[in-house]
Parts: sequence; structure tokens; C-alpha cells
Amino acid sequence: MLRRSHTAVLEKNEIHASDFATEPYETGWASEAIWFVRVTEASGDDVKLRAHLQISPDGIFWTDRDDQPLELDGCGQACLSVRDFGSWLRLRVEIEGENPSVKLMVYLALKE
Amino acid sequence: MAPSTEMLQTLWRADSRLSKYNPLPRILFFDDFDEGVNGWCELLGNHDNNLDNIKPRTRDPRPAQLSNCSFFDIGTHGAVDGIYALKLATRPRANHMAQLIKRLTYVKRGLVQLETYFTYKAEPVFDDSVETPRQWDGNYHPVEAMFGEFTISNDVNDGPDGERHHSVLRYVNTDREGNLVKKWMYKTSLQVTTKMQLDGVSTPDDWHTVHPDDWEEVPGGQFSLCHNEVPTKINWHYLRWQFDTENRRNVELQINDRVMDLRQIPVPVYDHTYYSCDRLLNFIFDVRTFLPVRNFLFLDSVLVSVDW
Repeated sequence: MLRRSHTAVLEKNEIHASDFATEPYETGWASEAIWFVRVTEASGDDVKLRAHLQISPDGIFWTDRDDQPLELDGCGQACLSVRDFGSWLRLRVEIEGENPSVKLMVYLALKE
Repeated sequence: MAPSTEMLQTLWRADSRLSKYNPLPRILFFDDFDEGVNGWCELLGNHDNNLDNIKPRTRDPRPAQLSNCSFFDIGTHGAVDGIYALKLATRPRANHMAQLIKRLTYVKRGLVQLETYFTYKAEPVFDDSVETPRQWDGNYHPVEAMFGEFTISNDVNDGPDGERHHSVLRYVNTDREGNLVKKWMYKTSLQVTTKMQLDGVSTPDDWHTVHPDDWEEVPGGQFSLCHNEVPTKINWHYLRWQFDTENRRNVELQINDRVMDLRQIPVPVYDHTYYSCDRLLNFIFDVRTFLPVRNFLFLDSVLVSVDW
């Protein structure tokens, strides 16, 4: 049997001007995951995006894991790979800068 | 020689995964979500590679999830068979709809039957930020009124030599103010496609219809489902929906022991043709919230059978 895999698009050209979290996503069947964040447009000065991995027992109450955050300065794509995460994943995203605004895509690629 | 109905039923009933279903003679697909999403994917609106050009209502229908049905109080519930169910989850935003589709084409027009075991819930709310008309009394839980509605539908298009239509059935749990309604409805107008919007039709409030009130009650369709008190008890319901692509009609909807005759219900048909959708046969589930509360629809498995 081939290993099951699945890609979910969690954010699709959404525009964010302040901190936010991605929607909760169920990952109990998977053993490895890679987040991809692509900023397609950025405005403001010194815009920086920092995404922290969060895990949860129930999809409601969340805690940061001590992974190195995914970071982007302005436009571009970055990834964050993770294992041992339980049944739920999301990103807590910080947006810094002066009058910042980013348009972004967020993908979660999962594998059994 | 084609196998007899009795022979097929004997074979199906020997399989514990199939014995809870009542298929027509040929099983087109059986999706056990312990094995993956099986082709159920997000119904994103049409675009020209620029996602900014997706029309509102169709730009964020959320990805499919494989859920082990875990909750904050008891942990994992699991599905009817095995662990995983297909899950549709809205954002916590009023009038947001999550929608999944499975896309096929048809070999022959005739009877098509979709069966599933489903359950539904709103996400627990831990503060007083969302109010509904009734209070908790030890039996009734306000979260029941935080679940808006769910809909099952098809998209059938013959091609240049025929017509396109959607058969659509919706369980309205509440109105937009959170008052319990608990009725099955059918729609009376067309789904406003991207092409229609580019041709000047307004973006609708409701993905399925031109106006939000374009719905009528299904005869015999007013009854409660088994919500079961709290937001973390899930009870699976049997659903059997039969439709006829030859006559472009619904036939029956069965929820547990209740069978609704849908043969006299009109189904809107487009007056124009659609390019590149020949012999289209799509199956769609969606769920919509009317409050800033995530609404969930879970499917244990889906079986679709046909009469050819």
C-alpha cells in the first residue's frame, strides 16, 4: 500500500494586516507535515511574517511548540516541516512592520 | 448473465461495511474515509488562475478533513466503522459555508442513489459571546441552536445535446436568529454560476439560489434529528437520497425511518448550455453557519449506486 498523503490549502489569497491564526486542521492520521507559506503581495515598511507552529488536544485550546518559526521578509515562500504533532495543527502568525499588509497562500502537505 | 438482486444483497450483507446500506444494482463508488478523502475536495469557484477573481461565496469553501471525531471532554469518538470520518468545517464567521464535491461523469442516465451515515455539530463556545434564544436546562444545550444548516446536492449536465440542473435538499436547523426550524427544504431557483455573475447576475447571499428565500418545504420534511444534548456527543444518521438523471428529478430522501417522496418536486433547469461539462455527474455536501461559530458535518462513509 502506498503511503497516504494530502495537501490542504488553508489560506487562499487572504489579506492580513495584523496577527492571526490559521483555521484548525485535523492531522491525526498523518505522521509528517510540511507547511508552506507564500506571501504574494506585501505593503508597508519592514514587513516581516513569523509563523509559529501550534498543536492542540482538541482543536480549541492551543499551545506553541518550540520549533524555529517560519519567517519571511516581504514576498516569497518558506516552509516548516514537523513530526510528532498529534491530532491538530495550526499556525499562529505574527505580522510586523509599519502599516503592514500581506496577501498570502498557506498550504499544509501531510503524509502518513 | 447479470446477477440477481437476491444474489447481490447476499454478497453485500456478508460485508459488514456494506450491510448497513441498500444499494441499487451497481455500486458506482463506496468511500470509506478510513482510507482517505476518496475524491471529496473543496468546491472552489471558477477563476482565470488569479484567485482574486473568484466570486464571493465560492472563494473559501475550506479543505476536506479526515477527522477522528475528537472532543475536548472525552477525546476520540471515532466513526461508525473504524476511526476516521470526512469532515466539513466552516470558519467561525456568520454566513460562511464549507463545501465539498466529488466529480464524476455519467455512463448512462437513470437512477442514482447516494447513501451515507452522517452527524453534525457546532463547535463548543466557552464564553457568553454568542447568545441563542434558549438556555441550558440539563437536557437542552444552546449549542444545538448554533448549527445553521447542511445541504446535499448534485450537479448534472448533459452537454450540448441536453440540459444542466442541480437537485438540492437542505436541512435547515435554525433560522439566522438562532430559532430552531428543523425542516428539509428544496430550492426553487438556479445556482448563480460564475458565468451568470460575469453576465450581470448579482452575487447571491446563498450559494445555491438567486435569492435567499428561494426555498420550499419538503412534504413530510419537518422533524428533529438526534442532536443529543451536548456539543460532543455524536449520533450517526442514515441518509438515502435517490434522484433520476433521465427525468431530472429527485425521487426519495430517507432519513432513518422517514421516507420523503420527492417525485413531484420541481427541479430548476438552466436555459443556457455549459461548455466542457459533458456528461457531468457531481455530488456535493455543504454546511453553513449563521453565527461566529464553526459548524461541522461529518460523514462516516458514502456509497453511490446506479440502476444500470
